[in-house]
Amino acid sequence: MRQTKGRGLFIFCCVAPAIALFVIFMVIPTIDVFRMSLYKWGGYTADKTFVGLKNFQTLLQSEKFLRSFQNQILLIVIVTIVTMSLALIFAAILTREKIKGQNFFRIVFYIPNILSVVIISAIFSAIYDPNQGLLNSILGVFRGHKDPILWLGSQKIVIYSIVIAMIWQAVGYYMVMYMASMSSVSESLYESADLEGAGKITQFFSITLPLIWTNIRTTLTFFVISTINMSFLFVKAMTNGGPDSASHVFLSYMYQEAYTNSSYGYGMAIGSVVFTFSFALSAILNKVTKRDPIEL
Amino acid sequence: MKKKLVSTLLSVAMVSSLLAGCGATTAPAEEAAPATEEAAPAEEAAAEETGEGQVVKVAAVETAYGADIWKNVAAEFEAATGITVELTVDKNLEDVISPDMKAGNYPDVIMRAVGAESGMTETFIKDNNLVDLSDVMDLTVPGETAKVSDKMLGGFTNNTITQPYGDGKIYLMPMFYSPCGLFYNAGLFAEKGWEVPTTWDEMWALGDTAKAEGISLFTYPTAGYFDAFLYALMHEAFGDNFANVLQYGEGVWETPEAETIFAILDKLATYTEPTTPANANDDNFQKNQQLVLDNKALFMPNGNWVIGEMAEAPRADGFEWGFTALPAVEDGGERASYAWFEQVWMPGGAVNVDAGKQFIAFLYSDAAAAIFAEKGAIQPINGLADTLEGDAKIYYSIYDTGAVAVLDAFAATESIEGTTIRGTFCDPINSLVTKDKTIDDWKAQIIKDNDTFRANLKQQ
Repeated sequence: MRQTKGRGLFIFCCVAPAIALFVIFMVIPTIDVFRMSLYKWGGYTADKTFVGLKNFQTLLQSEKFLRSFQNQILLIVIVTIVTMSLALIFAAILTREKIKGQNFFRIVFYIPNILSVVIISAIFSAIYDPNQGLLNSILGVFRGHKDPILWLGSQKIVIYSIVIAMIWQAVGYYMVMYMASMSSVSESLYESADLEGAGKITQFFSITLPLIWTNIRTTLTFFVISTINMSFLFVKAMTNGGPDSASHVFLSYMYQEAYTNSSYGYGMAIGSVVFTFSFALSAILNKVTKRDPIEL
Repeated sequence: MKKKLVSTLLSVAMVSSLLAGCGATTAPAEEAAPATEEAAPAEEAAAEETGEGQVVKVAAVETAYGADIWKNVAAEFEAATGITVELTVDKNLEDVISPDMKAGNYPDVIMRAVGAESGMTETFIKDNNLVDLSDVMDLTVPGETAKVSDKMLGGFTNNTITQPYGDGKIYLMPMFYSPCGLFYNAGLFAEKGWEVPTTWDEMWALGDTAKAEGISLFTYPTAGYFDAFLYALMHEAFGDNFANVLQYGEGVWETPEAETIFAILDKLATYTEPTTPANANDDNFQKNQQLVLDNKALFMPNGNWVIGEMAEAPRADGFEWGFTALPAVEDGGERASYAWFEQVWMPGGAVNVDAGKQFIAFLYSDAAAAIFAEKGAIQPINGLADTLEGDAKIYYSIYDTGAVAVLDAFAATESIEGTTIRGTFCDPINSLVTKDKTIDDWKAQIIKDNDTFRANLKQQ
């Protein structure tokens, strides 16, 4: 009896620091975000007014928030689907096929991940430059040099320009993750599939995909969270929400309101919506992608 | 057993050290603030006469003029008054001082203009969190015999920026100013034999001439530069009604004068270099400025800081900076140029109020003005512009050559969630150039937001 009591105390003492840190730096600030969203507050002074749910009311009627919501969903959907497919295809090719310069490709695909977002934004700003940019110069060969396409200037195109930069940045990282789990799939499965006459594509969908499913599930959640976070950095560095607020996403809009429009409380209301949204989306994804683990 | 005791002790030590760590970091922040507040009056009383022992905390943003000007001025101030200056100068001033401010420790004097991206100054205005500086005008400049009001250029303290609540009290003191207008390549005009247009009609005629030579009439660095441009244009078009427009008067944007402005903006968009919106962001705006240096666009709205900003940039042969006020709306009409100026102010939480006011008064001394002017930072001080030489003289003497100086800005409002002056009055120019919005869309937006601004007008 005395021994279990001592053990319990010991465990408590070991866990307590981590829990205390978690509560102080995670739980309390999160609750604070929700609390702040109920105030009208400029952010710099102690002067706060309680306004209840008014911030949320304004939020629901705001066209700008709606637009940033749409942009965010578009980014999450397109970036996730394209990045994931590309990463899976590249990973399958690099692990299953014997091609020359495998390591070279692996490094090339991974490099964007090492670069900071600011550098990537600078690279893409140069690529997208309407007059001297790489993209318009290449396209100019086919469509003539009239009316340059404004990659970061046209409101219809700008969000896709950000999509391209984000995919370019993310593919390598997820490719390496998928490669790791693909290489642990037993070679004998592919051999027997070969003998049964299954082609490469059938093998990919019937063997590779099911066996790395748990990995895909985990990365899906990563995707959602990181797309929300990374899109802020890209938007901030490349367009700062412009032109005319056409490329705002959740967090860039929140930043603009909280830190540049003296509406900290309103910003926190956006923050709580984003928090709830990403939490819910992760939960839904987790639920719908749930499969019985395959054991061999 | 012994082992267990040791491990228990160790883990207890671990937990307690953690808590001790928390205690140590939170305690001073909470206790220190009231302590200094109590101590300050006593100190002040003791050192009232000499200034010895008094402290003033000054926070200034580092801009293109550099950080040294502030260090030098602080040293001069200390020598003149004996008051110690605790100086914070940083490019990202808000990031540096706001954690302290949230804990209740405010600098006494803050040098940060309205219109900065962070909107810190606007937040203090909206929160009624400023010290009334009207009496600074009556202070004698330390080390001199003149009063501040004797030195101040007319108009600079009597506008909606320095008197944000319109109650006749000055809350922000004007500092460095820059005339804003249209910048162009004077060399190109001389070479082609073109006249700088004095009315918008001449402007459009020039636009057609230039177009034939493959040069666009207009470009702009970012949409944000339209604030100065619009204020000047509004002053020309609205005339006496200008003050009412700045107070978001009812129906002002449905008047014939407003139509004139919309017509000019609409036409200007068609004459704008078409790739401008793609580079009209904080990263790439210099590419738009480069268009003027490369003779691809004739005019851009800017302030005289652009000369330093583009000093290293390549340029067309025979390039020479030219600067003009906005063309007049009608023949022989007024030509306006916005005078953009920075402000220095004291937050409501300032502790050393008197020392802070002394410091602000000292900023207008000959010694301080000389330090600032050496780096090109020009204050609105009588006679200062006459002492300038070379290029700088051209810009600062624009108001002597007939252009009207516009100093006001839109009246302060309560913070309005989701609506900003810039979003309503500046950003849509991008949409207009790319044809994502029509001038009627923009007009409808201005009319709607104008009502919102009026409803939230700041009441002191």
